[in-house]
Amino acid sequence: MSAWENHYRDAVAEVISPDCLDEKILQHARRYKPLKKDNRWLSRTASGCAALAVVVLLAHPAQYLGALTPNGHAVDQSDHMAKWRRSSDHLLEKTDSWYALRSEVKAGNYVNLCNQWRRQQRSSALEKLPRDLEAAARSHCRLLPAP
Amino acid sequence: MFWNHFQQLSDEALLDYYHSTRNIRAFRLLYARHKDSLYRYCSQMNLAAAGGVLEELWRNILERPPQLYGRLLRSWLFIHVNKLLHNATEQNQDTAAEAPLPGSKLLSALQNLPRIERNILLLHMECRLPLATIADIERISLKKCREHYRNGGERLETLLNGSRRQPWRTKEVAV
Repeated sequence: MSAWENHYRDAVAEVISPDCLDEKILQHARRYKPLKKDNRWLSRTASGCAALAVVVLLAHPAQYLGALTPNGHAVDQSDHMAKWRRSSDHLLEKTDSWYALRSEVKAGNYVNLCNQWRRQQRSSALEKLPRDLEAAARSHCRLLPAP
Repeated sequence: MFWNHFQQLSDEALLDYYHSTRNIRAFRLLYARHKDSLYRYCSQMNLAAAGGVLEELWRNILERPPQLYGRLLRSWLFIHVNKLLHNATEQNQDTAAEAPLPGSKLLSALQNLPRIERNILLLHMECRLPLATIADIERISLKKCREHYRNGGERLETLLNGSRRQPWRTKEVAV
């Protein structure tokens, strides 16, 4: 930098924009009001859509019917219930000696029940049928004459 | 946006931000960055018209964002203010007489330079514009612009320090 350039820098350091000019320009700038930003969280469209989505989610029947679960896969809770039912049936099968006969009667097959009942009528030594099966036999079976 | 975030923004980004939000603090910072150098340039080119020209310049910027086309805002400001000064000088030939700023010998010497040399010196020194841009503004070749700058500098040196020293010449004295 040459000598005159250095001199120039020193000389103009004191020359600054006058306050009255600054004030006039800034006053003009103040006439332009800041733009109001649309708050997207509070905008009518956004809040309307959000409310609609919440209502649809809450009121949609699919979630109560389990329609969203894929085929062949039950919801966890019903799965547990089915397992428990199956296991309880197995237990009954093991503990109840009349289980097989009772399930036949339930299915509408009375042949074995009637045979058993007739045998019981003829010889009192045989084990007696339980009450419910006896009632079913009385209403469905007839006593045949002994051969 | 906080004040220190504004400080980190470039002039161009600040101008964009101002025009998208009309945030007065952004404009104030932009104005503070350039007001003194613009005033120094204008007052040394045409003191009488400086105030009016600067008001018009900033009013234009406030009303609509300038089309920079990739240029720096600083360059745009000085190119634009140069045009406005030129128009103001043409309109008021009588009042365009340069009134030197008080105080400095160098500033008074600068006022005695021809208008083109003074403009080139100021645009380069005050506005930090490259000589190629100044040549475009003055519509002269870069070589001519360099010459003006060198001549102007030399003239200022002469006005400040007197003419260059000449080597001593001895005359033969016949006895």
